[in-house]
Amino acid sequence: MQVKVVIGTVAFMLTMIVLGYAALREPTRLEDFAGAAHGRSVEQGAYLYVNNCATCHGIDGTATSGEENGCRDANGDPNCLGLPLNNYFLLCGNPPRRSIDLGWEGTTENLIKKTVAAGRGAIMPAWSSDFGGPMRPDQVQNVTNYVLNWGSEELCAEEPITFPWPEFGPGAAEAFQSLTDPVEVVAGDPELGAQVYLSNGCNACHGLPDGTAAATVGPSLAEIATNGAERIAGYSAQDYIYESILAPNAFISPECPNGPCTSPSLMPGTFALTFSRNPQDMANLLAYLMGDAYTHP
Amino acid sequence: MATIFEQINEMGLKQALVTKTDEVVERITAGMNISDIRGALRGDEPRRPNPRLRPHADGFWFHIRPSFYHTEVTHIYPTFRLGWLSTFMMVWETITGILLMIFYTPSPLIAYGDMWNILSNVPLGQLMRNMHRLGAEVMVLVVALHMLRTFITGSYKKPRQFTWATGVILLTLTALLSFSGYLLPWDQLAYWALTVFLSGADAAPAPPAVNQTVLFILQGGPALGAGGLLRWYLFHVLLMPLLLGVFFFVHYYKVILHGLSLPPGREEIGEDTAKRVPKDERTYFTPDILTSELMWTALITLFLIAGSLWFWDAPLETHADPVVTPLHVVAPWYLSWSQGWLKLAPKTIVVGFIPLLLVAFIVMPYFEVGKSRRYADRRLGLSVSFLFIAFMLVSNWMGTPEFRVESSPEREVSQGVLPQEGPSVLKGVPYEHLVLGTYVPGQVIDDNPHLTRALAVFYNSMYRQSCKLGDGNPDLPYDWYPCKEEVLENGEIRYGNHFTDNAMPNPYAELRITQEQDNMVKLTLYYEVVNPQKPDEFLILSDEAVGYRHEDSLYEEECQFLNKNC
Repeated sequence: MQVKVVIGTVAFMLTMIVLGYAALREPTRLEDFAGAAHGRSVEQGAYLYVNNCATCHGIDGTATSGEENGCRDANGDPNCLGLPLNNYFLLCGNPPRRSIDLGWEGTTENLIKKTVAAGRGAIMPAWSSDFGGPMRPDQVQNVTNYVLNWGSEELCAEEPITFPWPEFGPGAAEAFQSLTDPVEVVAGDPELGAQVYLSNGCNACHGLPDGTAAATVGPSLAEIATNGAERIAGYSAQDYIYESILAPNAFISPECPNGPCTSPSLMPGTFALTFSRNPQDMANLLAYLMGDAYTHP
Repeated sequence: MATIFEQINEMGLKQALVTKTDEVVERITAGMNISDIRGALRGDEPRRPNPRLRPHADGFWFHIRPSFYHTEVTHIYPTFRLGWLSTFMMVWETITGILLMIFYTPSPLIAYGDMWNILSNVPLGQLMRNMHRLGAEVMVLVVALHMLRTFITGSYKKPRQFTWATGVILLTLTALLSFSGYLLPWDQLAYWALTVFLSGADAAPAPPAVNQTVLFILQGGPALGAGGLLRWYLFHVLLMPLLLGVFFFVHYYKVILHGLSLPPGREEIGEDTAKRVPKDERTYFTPDILTSELMWTALITLFLIAGSLWFWDAPLETHADPVVTPLHVVAPWYLSWSQGWLKLAPKTIVVGFIPLLLVAFIVMPYFEVGKSRRYADRRLGLSVSFLFIAFMLVSNWMGTPEFRVESSPEREVSQGVLPQEGPSVLKGVPYEHLVLGTYVPGQVIDDNPHLTRALAVFYNSMYRQSCKLGDGNPDLPYDWYPCKEEVLENGEIRYGNHFTDNAMPNPYAELRITQEQDNMVKLTLYYEVVNPQKPDEFLILSDEAVGYRHEDSLYEEECQFLNKNC
């Protein structure tokens, strides 16, 4: 019996030592496993991304059209229809530019998660099963983690150069429209301009320039082709529109529907970036707003 | 009795406190004071009347236990402590299970995340989970061995037939408890093991309407989902433990009522002397049995905790996905025999046979009424039981992936090297050792034993699935087994080797490691097999076997456990 007491006591003490060891290493282990939980989520996200998202956003997430990036449009051509996700303006900065563009006040993670889950705009579908898509909530989270995982220090080290808009001033619109490098700006198409106007939501504040919808917050643009030239000395109407879109605070318009326009301007300051993706939009917008008075050099 | 103040007045503070403490101890133990306990621990003879018997008469916990045993049944043989051990495991599972319940929600939306929360956010959570899972498997094993021992020593015979019957039910409940817990992590392993199990209900030998209804009830809907998970959770934490408790107490009551059966050679044939214990053959519960049980408790606890910490890790695969069936779904080892049987007989017969077998076990002692418990008199019975054990072991083996239905050779190789689920030797290579590049099977990488080992496993898997035609493939000039050719009904030729009928003739294979994101690599297994009949056509062309490996995903840690196949 004494032997049993000794064996039992020794076993009990060893158990306590083992448990003590386990408790001591526990903080490190928990941290490692938190990393593992995230890492495996990203791995699962990779499978989902390649199978579901790469068709529009590209395998490398840059949405650069080309055969090797896996994109396909409706005709089966290698064009990426999606926005770049492996991208400074989505993943870097606090808050990132894309959050500002969209007026998103939450975290980037939630912005991506919401976009994946519920879709966005006309092309990005809703993926979560909550909104009729094929993915479970945990899969939406995995894809989100995968996209966020592109946000490396390297990607965020330096803000990429956006389009080199010609400086504001008299003749700026002409200088812009004469550009051939990095893109050639051709004569604006007023119909495409109307689409740019609507898709960016300009009409929400400014109404429609043909007067069929009244301005509600921002100044009316019905007479902009003529009164635009009267605002700043030396500026043509086109120069004025060009500057007002890219830098709304450079000059505050005197007349708004609810009295004098407020300073700073209520207009988002993000269009320089938005139109960097396709500067031709600016020319189209000029053509649309100027109507018959539009000139191209 | 005097109050404490009177006692202090009478004998001074110190003596009064000692006396009072003695009184309190005597009340708590229902009869033994401090010097009685000390005497018992020292192995002294008890005073008369024996105070060590009073806890059995007056106390709740000890009244369940007999106050003495026949000395013959207190040695390792004939019980091997298996009945006690089963009870210990039941308590162990209850305690660890309740701890896990605190951190678990039975919902498909939450359950899997809870697993990772237990692993990454609950202090000692991994240990708790491993202890519960290891305990569950040990318990199944111990209960089965207990039943085997009872059979071998003939302890099921009259008057203990009913004890045996409840024991068979307890074994069934133990297996069901273990299996119902299988579903709760809601990972691929859980989901598909249960789906396979439930598909049995659909094949039961009963009218389809009955089968469909039973299946509907067990799944909680037309497919396993939220309702099913909740149901199996309630089976696991409520219904089955309750039944187990009921049958356990009946079982134990009967064990004590009839006494533990003596070793077969110890009594005359046809006699049962377990309850007639001569004075000189008694071993008293206090202190001998109690000490022994406390020692075993300490030893088994140490074994289970150390095992859960270093040697045995509960599996956790990816989130359950009803639309993706992993390759080679297997039942847990203790139900693997049923999967083996499916390869011997149609499903309906197997599903119908299992309950019949259980009933046969339950009623067996009422038909097997030979009087003698001695081994020499029971040659037929013992032979049959050993044949049955052999049959079960073979069936179990037939249920493992070792005895599987083979898919295509390159998928089998990929399954061995880079499986969709679970750890593998390639996933277990530490991230910094996954050097970008292209490697062939069996390649030796200097200063990189991890990757070299993974490539060796790649080679071994290829070896089982490849064969050599003529001079072989100049790009991968290995000496595979020579191809055996077999002409199929459609006129095409299938190539086989020593291991399989469907092998890759002169294959080319490589592992590509490419950077996917800054902290994640992509592992691709690529195969190229030219059709020897039509040299300009590929028989197999694949770069489908893709795995991702994140810097932090910790497979190497998982691979340190003995039960992980790395």
